Amino acid sequence: MTLQAPTTAAAPSGQPHLALEGVGKVFELRRNEHIEAIKDVSFTMQENEVCVILGPSGCGKSTVLRMVAGLESPSAGQLLLDGNPIHGPGRERGMVFQSYTSFDWLTVQDNVEYGMRLNGAGARERRERAAEFIELVGLTKFANAYPRQLSGGMKQRVAIARTLANDPALLLMDEPFGALDAQTRWHMQELMMSVVESTRTSVLMVTHDIEEAIFLADRIEFMSRHPGSVLEEIKPTFKQGQRFTRKEQLLDFPEYGDLERHVMKLMRQQGGDDATPAEQGA
Amino acid sequence: MSQNRQNPVGTRAQRGPWLEFLRPISTRESALLGLVIWVLFFVGWEVAAWRELVNPLLLPPPEQVLVSLYDLLVNRGFGVDIGVSILRILASFVAACIIAIPLGVLMGSFARIEGLFNPFVSAWRYLPAPAFIPILLAWFGTGEEPKLALLFLGVIWFLITLVMDHTRNVRDELIETAMTLGARRWQVLWTVIVPAVLPNILIAMRQMLAIAWTYLVIAEIIAATNGIGAVMWRARRFLDTDEILAGILVIGVLGLAFDLLFRWLYRILFPYLDRNGR
Repeated sequence: MTLQAPTTAAAPSGQPHLALEGVGKVFELRRNEHIEAIKDVSFTMQENEVCVILGPSGCGKSTVLRMVAGLESPSAGQLLLDGNPIHGPGRERGMVFQSYTSFDWLTVQDNVEYGMRLNGAGARERRERAAEFIELVGLTKFANAYPRQLSGGMKQRVAIARTLANDPALLLMDEPFGALDAQTRWHMQELMMSVVESTRTSVLMVTHDIEEAIFLADRIEFMSRHPGSVLEEIKPTFKQGQRFTRKEQLLDFPEYGDLERHVMKLMRQQGGDDATPAEQGA
Repeated sequence: MSQNRQNPVGTRAQRGPWLEFLRPISTRESALLGLVIWVLFFVGWEVAAWRELVNPLLLPPPEQVLVSLYDLLVNRGFGVDIGVSILRILASFVAACIIAIPLGVLMGSFARIEGLFNPFVSAWRYLPAPAFIPILLAWFGTGEEPKLALLFLGVIWFLITLVMDHTRNVRDELIETAMTLGARRWQVLWTVIVPAVLPNILIAMRQMLAIAWTYLVIAEIIAATNGIGAVMWRARRFLDTDEILAGILVIGVLGLAFDLLFRWLYRILFPYLDRNGR
């Protein structure tokens, strides 16, 4: 296959897939008025890991993700993918957004082919690979439909298929199911789990949904606010390295409740009662 | 979302008030209502002319306007004038589009290009195009150039601004998605921004073409020997009000025809958008 993300080539063993080292971000509000949104964020991610950044509104978790995507540049520290510093956006770090990003003028098939077309894949390979990923997200029947004809959940599936078909080294997701209704949301979480399992993709995802974080994550980076920083690294050890594709499987573990209670408490401490008016950097 | 905007089937028995919020009407009813207002207009005109509520010299009845239109077309080569006017519109409008659309897209895409051109474009937008007629006549004489230049100046600044605004409204996430899929700058421009803004560009063109007709008549009245406006202006000298009205009628019909053409183009070019797009 010609689609090989350039940076995955020679990662020496032991080197983290993604590393954030003392990353900070300062926004200039007005002249001489700065706000430190992110301060000293450091964590690493291994290959094939699903890592979730969780935190209250306004903790800057989306900003961290956008810096990994290369859509924002850090004011301090550095970000490394397989040891190479991240400069600007690139196809090895494909991003799925909360808002729908299907290209209205392309069919589902062409949407999924889009990234491969940019990167010069041949027509036949594009077609086959797109079909494969469209099937993976269960949209084969809609391959020739235009996005306008699809529901919100289906549009997000198109976005996921489009990003994965482009073979990123790291899949970035910014509250991808945040705009969906509750039922569609857990369907999508389960679908994403099975897709990630079958493609062995590394995922870095931002959410403020505690249940979603525990269900999906191999590891959770919990962020505090003012300025945003990693408060606690949480490993849902009760999962014992397993990944589940049905949410109710979690409920079999008594530790699940404990973990959710713990995260809830953090969330309340951090986000809680001095509710800020707007989510920053969302 | 679009579902509850459609006409529910089989709800005829359940009739609401005649005027109702958020209630669309069928295409047939819409066409019928559109016809009603025109029928009322012509009946009113007819009655006003018939009962001589106004001086018949100033307001001839509609059928007399039609007769003179026929006479103009068949015996006096009005068809050529119409053709000349349409050519003037098309030539200047196409020229304005060729400059305004790429420039507007670039200005809407890149803040630096906007920073460079916008102060210039905004200033020109505030200058009424007819103010340039004397200088255009001085520069170009009475040939085709001053007319084309007036139409061009009347359209281009607004078209640039409209295209720029529409381009700026292309959602950031679409651009960022393309960038994280590996799109380079010109690829983002060509494969995301341009297709995303194209439907709105067509709408902007439709709006600006209507404005072009305004300037056409001004240009032809002031300095032309042919064209619809010139014919109307000549008729004024002999108080041939029926011919003036015939000219107005033709302009109205042509305007409507171009409008329909654009609506048709919109449906053909952008089949992926809602049928009742805009």
